[in-house]
Amino acid sequence: MSPKRKISLSEEDLIQALRNREKIAVEALYDMYSASLYGVIVRIVTEEAFAEDVLQETFVKIWNSFASYSADKGRLFTWMVNIARNLSIDKVRSKDFRNQGKNQELENNVTFIDEQRNTVYNPELLGIKEMVATLKPEQRAILDLVYFKGYTHVEAAEELDVPLGTIKTRLRMAIQQLRKHFNE
Amino acid sequence: MKDVKAYIESGVLELYVLGDLSPEERLDVEKMALEHPAVKTELAEIEQSLEMFAQEHAIEPSEGLRGKIVNSTLVNLGDDRIFTKQRKHSDEEEYEDDKVITMPKRTQFYKYAFAACLTLLLISIYGMVSLYSQLQESNTQLATLQADKTKFANQVNFKDNQLRIYRDSNYRIVRLKGLPKTPAASMMLAWNPSSQKVMVDMESMTLPKHDDKHEYQLWALVKGKPVDMGLFDNAAADSAIVKEMKNVALAQGFAVTLEPKGGSVNPTLDQMVVIGQF
Repeated sequence: MSPKRKISLSEEDLIQALRNREKIAVEALYDMYSASLYGVIVRIVTEEAFAEDVLQETFVKIWNSFASYSADKGRLFTWMVNIARNLSIDKVRSKDFRNQGKNQELENNVTFIDEQRNTVYNPELLGIKEMVATLKPEQRAILDLVYFKGYTHVEAAEELDVPLGTIKTRLRMAIQQLRKHFNE
Repeated sequence: MKDVKAYIESGVLELYVLGDLSPEERLDVEKMALEHPAVKTELAEIEQSLEMFAQEHAIEPSEGLRGKIVNSTLVNLGDDRIFTKQRKHSDEEEYEDDKVITMPKRTQFYKYAFAACLTLLLISIYGMVSLYSQLQESNTQLATLQADKTKFANQVNFKDNQLRIYRDSNYRIVRLKGLPKTPAASMMLAWNPSSQKVMVDMESMTLPKHDDKHEYQLWALVKGKPVDMGLFDNAAADSAIVKEMKNVALAQGFAVTLEPKGGSVNPTLDQMVVIGQF
């Protein structure tokens, strides 16, 4: 047994294999992207059991709706991470998920999600890593909300109490900062 | 060109990559990306950096999850193939299943109903046949009984008539006795002088047997002369108990002689068997 031998394909080959609905495509997809996707999912969902469910749902959905992916419109990961994020948000807002928590009666989902997270949120594990410390606090905050909490920019604007335009600018600056960081 | 730069700097491309745009806004970005290579490049940069960002924050799911997810995806692949490629087919199959479930019940029902009808029909036919034969039998019995009844009625009538002969005071009973040649012979007749009727009692008759060529002939003595009263036979062929003979108004006596078949005009006196006089 060689459990650590992971399958890796070029994005092009992977897309081709997915189109052909080859079994190896599922394995490669998992080996190449499960950790990145799970990183996003577990930060939104926070409960490991639920996060694993969402990861599974994500792969099933990627597989089943792969016909709707078009390489012209962007990278495979961008498409997949948006599926993962949407499923995570759906899960967090689902009755199922809320019933396992104590505050089922809260009507404001965003507030509720936030409170949920605050109880389990571990910045050291789940927050943005130190190496992105080059980000300014407000840039970290917006990335944290939008990328790892599943907020829309409108919700983030409300949460941070800043105008929408500012949110957009901050988000852009944060991502510019990341680009700089990764290109170094 | 300045427009494009402003567009890039507006932050809409980041929101596009984050999936945070309305469908119309998405189409707008895609259109811009097609028209302006700079937009496309910028999008690719944003995507790449966010993907790397995600990789930096990647968390390995638990080990056992790989097999589970790969398998369930592949099982789903099976399901998926059924549902996407053979959706209509599987729908039909469901209907077919429904039919398969309901149809046998119907056919089963009709089968049993038909069998029941057939059984009832057979039972009815059998019943009708046996009733018909019973009816025939009853009719036959009834006919027999009616015939019997008629016979008995006739007999009763006859007996009544006989009895009437004896009760009727107008009738005179005449006993004819055997002659020295035939001492055992005897016979009885009744004569009604007013109605002129003469009846012979065949039952109490004891006359010697005769052959086929002869018959007995009854004679009445009217004013000393024999008058033919008709022929009779004491054989079994003449079943009548009382035989009515020819009429006679005035008779002094009666006698029976054995005559050749067909009778004679004058009695053969030496063949006389019985005689009776008043």
